[in-house]
Amino acid sequence: MRRAGRPSSTRCDGPEPASRRRALRLLVLGAVLVLGACAFDVIQVRQVPATLETFSGPAPEWTLSQDVNVRLREGFSTLLKSGTTWHAIGRIPQGDVYRTSDQIVTVEASNVYEAAVVLKADVVVGFYLLVEHTFTAADPEVQIKRTIRSP
Amino acid sequence: MAIPKTAARPVIAGILLLLLAACASGPQFSQMQSSLPALSADNCRIFVYRSTVLGAAIQPSVKINGDVVGSAVPRGFFYVDRPPGDYEITTITEVTRTLSLHLDAGQTRYVRLGISMGFFVGHVYPELVDDAAGSAEIQELHYIGK
Repeated sequence: MRRAGRPSSTRCDGPEPASRRRALRLLVLGAVLVLGACAFDVIQVRQVPATLETFSGPAPEWTLSQDVNVRLREGFSTLLKSGTTWHAIGRIPQGDVYRTSDQIVTVEASNVYEAAVVLKADVVVGFYLLVEHTFTAADPEVQIKRTIRSP
Repeated sequence: MAIPKTAARPVIAGILLLLLAACASGPQFSQMQSSLPALSADNCRIFVYRSTVLGAAIQPSVKINGDVVGSAVPRGFFYVDRPPGDYEITTITEVTRTLSLHLDAGQTRYVRLGISMGFFVGHVYPELVDDAAGSAEIQELHYIGK
């Protein structure tokens, strides 16, 4: 488009839209790269701090009677395998905390956290992250079948 | 457009050579297992390994609690001994991937370095595997430690 007071020539009008187009392309490419880079790190496990109180008496122990898949609001689900035996390591406000040596228990989103199961009665309410000392909630909470071994 | 077989062969051979060059070349775990130093009772051992050759050109450093302890070399493994406690194992490509784990005294843990799709390059990520799977997968891998 020609404007008043501006010298008119195809030489001046021609390259300007081309450079704008190039700039626009670069802008779009930049935005895609930034968004793409961010997308790899968006899945974070939601955690709340939790203080673990260790049991003073004998630690309760039980065996899981069937496979259980525990989902979180974010990230991947965690499979708790049938036949694994769990022993209490303590208590947090959300429930009793159990570990097992029969399988690896991790909570996974963008990063991976070794975890212990948090149980309230026969319901898995979430996980206690062993290194972070935090609790992350199951969504939904899962009822389990277990065989109590002790005490 | 079809590529002539005569032209494809050198290309495939070149790719295979590059893949081989990018892989670990030390002694296999099964050969050196008996010569590994025994783990002291007050320490723990972490085996870190990468069993796949996918994304062979991407070999980020592996850090434990911020210290570089090795590299993610395809078909390679190394180990570190550490006192019991909390640890974070990290790999950095275009993103940072972290595994946090707790070590009890005398324990041996296995950490596999997997690879996933990335934007520019693949992402190498550490994952905790159980002892049976870890000790089986590591047998044919090559030592890349110091």
